[in-house]
Amino acid sequence: MAKQILTLGIDVGSNFIKSVLIDYSDKPKIIDKVTEKIRKRNPTQVADEMIQSMLTRNKLKYEDLAYLASTGEGDLVKRKKGHFYGMTTHARGANFFFPDAKTVVDMGALYVRAVKISSDARVEDYKMTGQCASGSGQFVENISRYLGLSIEEVGDVSLQSKEPEVSSGICAVLAETDVINMVSRGISTPDIIKGIHISIANRIIKLLSSLKAESPIVLTGGMALNKGMLQAIGDQLDETGKKFEIKTHPDAIYAGAIGAALWGGFRYLKLRDKQQAAA
Amino acid sequence: MSKYYLGVDLGSTTSKAVIINEADEIIGRGITNTRANYSVAADIARDEATYNARFSVLKKNLEDEIKAKPEYRKYIADLESVFQYEQFKVKLDRLGEELVKTCDNFFTEKTLRETMLNHLRAIRRAFKPKIKHDYLYNDLGSRNQFFRDIVSEKYNEEVNKLDATLFEPLMTVWDKSISPAENERIKFDFKELVHKAMDELKEKYKNLPESSLDNKSVHFDAEMNLLRGNFDHVSDTLRKHIDDIAELDFEIENMTGTGYGRALLPFPQECIRSEILCHAFGAHAVFPETRTVLDIGGQDTKAIQVDKYGLVTSFQMNDRCAAGCGRYLGYIADELSISLNELGPLAMEAQKEVNICSTCTVFAGAELRELTNLGEKRADILGGLHKAIIMRAMSLIARSGGVFNEFTFTGGVARNPAVIKYLGQLVRENYGDNIKINIHTDSIFMGALGGAMFARRNIKADLPGAKTGKAVA
Repeated sequence: MAKQILTLGIDVGSNFIKSVLIDYSDKPKIIDKVTEKIRKRNPTQVADEMIQSMLTRNKLKYEDLAYLASTGEGDLVKRKKGHFYGMTTHARGANFFFPDAKTVVDMGALYVRAVKISSDARVEDYKMTGQCASGSGQFVENISRYLGLSIEEVGDVSLQSKEPEVSSGICAVLAETDVINMVSRGISTPDIIKGIHISIANRIIKLLSSLKAESPIVLTGGMALNKGMLQAIGDQLDETGKKFEIKTHPDAIYAGAIGAALWGGFRYLKLRDKQQAAA
Repeated sequence: MSKYYLGVDLGSTTSKAVIINEADEIIGRGITNTRANYSVAADIARDEATYNARFSVLKKNLEDEIKAKPEYRKYIADLESVFQYEQFKVKLDRLGEELVKTCDNFFTEKTLRETMLNHLRAIRRAFKPKIKHDYLYNDLGSRNQFFRDIVSEKYNEEVNKLDATLFEPLMTVWDKSISPAENERIKFDFKELVHKAMDELKEKYKNLPESSLDNKSVHFDAEMNLLRGNFDHVSDTLRKHIDDIAELDFEIENMTGTGYGRALLPFPQECIRSEILCHAFGAHAVFPETRTVLDIGGQDTKAIQVDKYGLVTSFQMNDRCAAGCGRYLGYIADELSISLNELGPLAMEAQKEVNICSTCTVFAGAELRELTNLGEKRADILGGLHKAIIMRAMSLIARSGGVFNEFTFTGGVARNPAVIKYLGQLVRENYGDNIKINIHTDSIFMGALGGAMFARRNIKADLPGAKTGKAVA
């Protein structure tokens, strides 16, 4: 049996840190994965502890890793070998889940990014939400907390909505006040949450249109796990008559970390070949 | 019998109520945070204003005694603070019930539920005496914080001492419990509560230290001895006066609602006014020479020009984005895990102003995190942030027509010393040294005051042009 090529990818987001351990030999496969909420802790330290415990759990040492790759705010990761931009790693992650992926939409805590990718997971074009966080995961989290929902409940609650109340808010803070207003008017929690999801879905669809996105579209990032969000995107696509095929994967939140680990493996082999050629 | 007028300003973050008499004098102020139920918020603010009015009357009735015995003033201030604590205690028990209920419903598994309940009980046991102590001895009542802020700070403190895995479930229990507990108006019996407060005070003064060696100030010792010795003496006279004010009836002749939530107030249509009119009118009443008013509230910033009668001639406000307002500061304070009151003083320690690029509140939070990780000092980042807020306000002022003498700064953010510092700097830089800047201790109540004054005059006023501020969805 060929010796394993182990690579570790770590994606430092503004809300969660995600890390995966991948065996890059033959057909790459995930060996271990873990997410951790940062929550006012020092991200450098959290990242360090996460890597350490993942290594221990798999009876490994730093030296056993062919490559340690970071993405996101990965500048904070100590002992990394290389850093990759979020767009490239999410592209690679989406391609890992679905090799036919043409577009990837990363729905993170602060931004939504839509990226067109080639069949070998290279970035061809992209668009992202810029100056305002009203379409972000952080925004959904703030609203849910206000409404007394845990982040796990949000998706299911949204699915119960019968008459969604779409928020007019363009700004995350103004929308929060909109929500207080809605509660005061007696609008139900599911209808409010669904409304928020719809307004974000509309932003994403606008982003996809301006990018001239192609199907299939793969959703990644933390919000891709939110069933309410997925349904809202589906509903709004039907409404606008856009024929996008949307795909998502249970490991969608790890897309960036997976991409980093895969690009790390790719770079490791390149370097190894070069060294062997030189020798 | 005197006639009274009520103004209620239902802002996006805080709800304010002001009661005035026929001479436009403020006799009662009440403030609470705006909760999901606007009419509850309005009721609570109004209740608070009525309690405050009773204490104002008490001070007035005791004017002669206060002149003769200055310690009376301290007794009354203390009494009002302890009275607030008595209300707080009732609400705290209500929240306690809600926390237990949430726990019962949320955790289906028996052992987990028991563990969580035990943690909750321990948390409450830990913070209850702390809150009492802060009210009685550390002046917590006068620090302009609300039930939610105070308890959430203490709750957080306790949760942070526990294992990290408990953070998420315990915070979820909190999020689910606080709104129902808060969105309920509790009717207090003023007389009963104020007598309880008197008993509490008696204990406090009895337990004051004998003249102590570590207190260097002679004046302090003298004051302490005076307070401790005389309270029993004063107590009986005070109780008689308290019974008088408890019986007082504040008949409200007319009222006006204003602010972001005004359209949802249970007031008749003719009792609703735009907050722009009310803020300008209130600020102008306190400072009659005012021609420009800047109001920075929870989610909007308004630059208003007024004429010599206090009526609005032009205004500008932010409409697309809430960056630079009170919520923005609240968000940043939360990010730094400090209370909103500490933010301004910390920014005052800035040696330089770090440039903040993000306009968006949520992004600025992330940028602050990044800058901290890069090793910038918190005070310097905050300096830059406060300056950015004022720069944004200056552009609104310029669009509304500039600054004319005198200039009055109102709204909740006017209590932040760093904001005041940069405002002074930038106004002088842009409009010269002769501009008089007014900031009143009641700056946050200006909208409610304006409302109450409109109620007394019962006059109609319209905004210039067709634009009538932000419509409530």
